[in-house]
Amino acid sequence: MTDSPFVEVESLYFSRGEMEIFRGVDLVIPRGRITAIMGPSGTGKTTLLKMIGGQLVPDSGRVSIAGQDVHALSRKALFVLRRRMGMLFQSGALFSDLDVFENVAFPLRVHTDLPEAMIRDVVLMKLQAVGLRGARELMPSELSGGMARRVALARAIALDPELILYDEPFAGQDPISMGVLVQLIKRLNEALGLTAVVVSHDIKETLSIADYVYVIADGQVMAHGTPASLDADLDPRVSQFMHGEPDGPVPFHYPAMDFHADILGIGGPR
Amino acid sequence: MKRSKTMELGVGLFMLAGILGLVFLGLRVSGMSLALPSETFRLEANFASIGGLKPRARVTMAGVTVGRVEAIELDTEWYDARVVMELDAELEGVLPEDSTAAILTAGLLGEQYVGLSMGGAPETLADGDSVRDTQSALVLEELIQQFVTSMAKE
Amino acid sequence: MIERIRHLGRRGCELLEALGRAGIFLGQSAVGVPSREGLYLWVRQMHFVGVMSLAIVLVSGLFIGMVIALQGYTILVDFGAEQALGQMVALSLLRELGPVVSALLFAGRAGSALTAEIGLMKATEQLTSMEMIGVDPLRRVVAPRLWAGFVALPLLTIGFSVVGVWGGQLVGVEWLGVFEGSYWGNMQASVAFIDDVGNGLIKSLVFALVVTWIAVFQGYDLIPTSEGISRATTRTVVYSSLAVLGLDFVLTALMFGGLS
Repeated sequence: MTDSPFVEVESLYFSRGEMEIFRGVDLVIPRGRITAIMGPSGTGKTTLLKMIGGQLVPDSGRVSIAGQDVHALSRKALFVLRRRMGMLFQSGALFSDLDVFENVAFPLRVHTDLPEAMIRDVVLMKLQAVGLRGARELMPSELSGGMARRVALARAIALDPELILYDEPFAGQDPISMGVLVQLIKRLNEALGLTAVVVSHDIKETLSIADYVYVIADGQVMAHGTPASLDADLDPRVSQFMHGEPDGPVPFHYPAMDFHADILGIGGPR
Repeated sequence: MKRSKTMELGVGLFMLAGILGLVFLGLRVSGMSLALPSETFRLEANFASIGGLKPRARVTMAGVTVGRVEAIELDTEWYDARVVMELDAELEGVLPEDSTAAILTAGLLGEQYVGLSMGGAPETLADGDSVRDTQSALVLEELIQQFVTSMAKE
Repeated sequence: MIERIRHLGRRGCELLEALGRAGIFLGQSAVGVPSREGLYLWVRQMHFVGVMSLAIVLVSGLFIGMVIALQGYTILVDFGAEQALGQMVALSLLRELGPVVSALLFAGRAGSALTAEIGLMKATEQLTSMEMIGVDPLRRVVAPRLWAGFVALPLLTIGFSVVGVWGGQLVGVEWLGVFEGSYWGNMQASVAFIDDVGNGLIKSLVFALVVTWIAVFQGYDLIPTSEGISRATTRTVVYSSLAVLGLDFVLTALMFGGLS
């Protein structure tokens, strides 16, 4: 039932300039669940989300959402498909020239012909869900980071999407707003049956809500499983990441020549 | 979306001002008249030399502007200059056939224009007719040359 | 040596690629049927690029008209031709200074602001999130700005010339004592609506398109960092100014060059 795949990523390859970002990534994101994609920073987690959203095109491989190949769609069909998705950006990405109310109303106004009164009801309902009904008249510049992210969440769910993509929802938040966001994501998933993809490197928070976790490193899926099974994973790389150890198989140092030789200036250009 | 009335008003005024400015440029600066372009008729005149006459130069009669030079071209039959003029329609059928056209200069170095003067013949000029009696532009160098040669003779 | 040539070749390819991107960008954003909503967005941008630039353009126009009158008078009076002052002021404003100077001011005032605004929207992921909501930012963000610039600059140019002519009469007639009748009379005798006012407007329309195009493209295409935004803003002003001056020569040669 709810375990049928909603998003499927098959052997994805992508490189930016000389840098290979993905070297054959396969993911299955089941319908109605919260799937977390984790990994050290700089491994292209956000890039992966952008590919699922169809904003970036992979060098090869396939991304399909509800059976449709995202990158084979025409621009128009892609925009139609995107109405079924919501995306929460790291910065919130609220439209700076519109106030909170208008930001949440934006998707409704462009995609529906609802009368003004109904739009108002829907917007207030969504704002109520994120606890910011009272902030409707503020401008985005007047919001704190956590509030901006919650408004953005209200906007992302304004059209009742089937899939919602969270890009680093917890990054840079104080413990309280972090807790609020964790709870919101969980509640939205339970109440609306949303399929959620959470990209994050905040291990504790992410594991507490995820049903299934993929760990990406070096352009490949390094491990996947339920939070409990990953926690017990014996692979040293996985356990280094899961337990936040500073050095291990994923090195602390950026690749460089031998420190001793470098300091003494032997054989190096500078 | 909330609309700002003052902003809409501002933009409206801005566009209105632009259009009014264009009207100002038309009427006051380039001297067009609001009346429909008045009826005109064409006359031609051949000059041995037009000096510095340019298209759009004035055509006057007794100092009053009655039309403009429309085109200047070389008449390949006689190898002189054919000047086409547009004149006010009220002069059509009024100018006698032996009227003269002269190229005159406003001031010593000013712009050149065509001056018409009335003849006395009973027949009149109609649209497309040609003024036969013409007087070419005075070219300063030629004048000086004439002056010098006549001085030399004395 | 070969390395240098290769470098040149690469720069050439990059330039062509950027031009191609800019062309596609213009095509995708400028074409399309505007909606009611689009009209309102356009009005907002008209306010932003047009009304807000009005003050600087008008004040500059006034001073430039006054300066031409002052300079022109000292030259013309030597030939005893100071009656031709009106003609000189009007022709230089309508044909040359009006379109060019307003376009340069517009690039500095509105163009750089457009680049920075769109760039900031890109850097804060507003454009991406708009795309994810299923709204094309080219249509929603870029198109209204492009069209607003295209309409606003010619209007500003008209204002510039009108105020300039008036400033010229202020100095020439009120101060230096040129006879008012000959100021306006000579002007009217020598200015042709189609040839002078019309060609000036065509110039201004071309400049409007180019300046706005450069501004919005630089904003849309920049690297979304604070350094990228400041660089792109500078590029907008530099490229637009160069484009305006270069195109001005080409257009002048086409319009007035062959005039006997």
